Amino acid sequence: MQKTTLPAVVSTFVVSFAFWVLLTWSFTPQELIAGAVISLAVALFSARFFIHEKAFWLCNPAKFFSGLFYWVCIFPVELVKANVDMAKRCFGGCKNINPGIVKVPVDLKSDYGQAALANSITLTPGTITMETTEEDGQNYFYIHWIDVTAPSGREAGDAIKGTLEKGLRRVWE
Amino acid sequence: MTALRIVIDVLIGISAIFALAGTIGILKMPDTFSRMQASTCIPTLGTICALLGALLYAIFFKNGDAGSAVKIAVIGLMILVTNPLGSHAIAKGAYKAGVRPEKKMETDDLGRDLYD
Repeated sequence: MQKTTLPAVVSTFVVSFAFWVLLTWSFTPQELIAGAVISLAVALFSARFFIHEKAFWLCNPAKFFSGLFYWVCIFPVELVKANVDMAKRCFGGCKNINPGIVKVPVDLKSDYGQAALANSITLTPGTITMETTEEDGQNYFYIHWIDVTAPSGREAGDAIKGTLEKGLRRVWE
Repeated sequence: MTALRIVIDVLIGISAIFALAGTIGILKMPDTFSRMQASTCIPTLGTICALLGALLYAIFFKNGDAGSAVKIAVIGLMILVTNPLGSHAIAKGAYKAGVRPEKKMETDDLGRDLYD
């Protein structure tokens, strides 16, 4: 577990306070001060769990806009495609499936990047990340895939997460 | 305003269709993991489209009710952040507890490498 550093506390405070303002949506001084005090307490206690790497990576505009592009353009398109595919299988009587667990290599190095990729994969219907592992410096995901069309390895990885990983690499690498 | 109203209704209709697809999947898929896969349709397009419709309604028909609109956006964000965490945990836990499909899976690298 990492030590609590000042940038980590500041960034956790900003996130907590933003959530407070969004949830209360009132701008009277009492509410704002109470929110600030609680956010500071939360930040002091939980910053070391919340922030593991650089705290202010979002302040780099290139990363910020590639992140925005990923979550506004790339990911929703993949999501809709996978949803339509899954809905077709469901309305077709659930016979047209071929499930299996494949092991695919992942090229993202940072913790945040891997977490974002794993969550994106799980949110897409048809694929669930079940386990991550590291062998000889290469990270692997074990992914449950509803329609296995390729054996484990690069080919299956490209079919499952090629577009997503390309988008995320610009954000975190 | 009528055009906007139609857009909202279409969004909520789409969400109903995907939620129905997910429910059919949960009931009819043959094994645990495939059922989880089908159920992912419900929190993604099922909920997101409904919330999008509600968001448009709150903004344009409630005279810019910012409190409701922001709360709807926060609900959507929380669902998108927390749903995959639950899915990981359930899938991994089920596999560790020894749940296996009746019909043999096409490939099963997780069992080969870690558990069997």
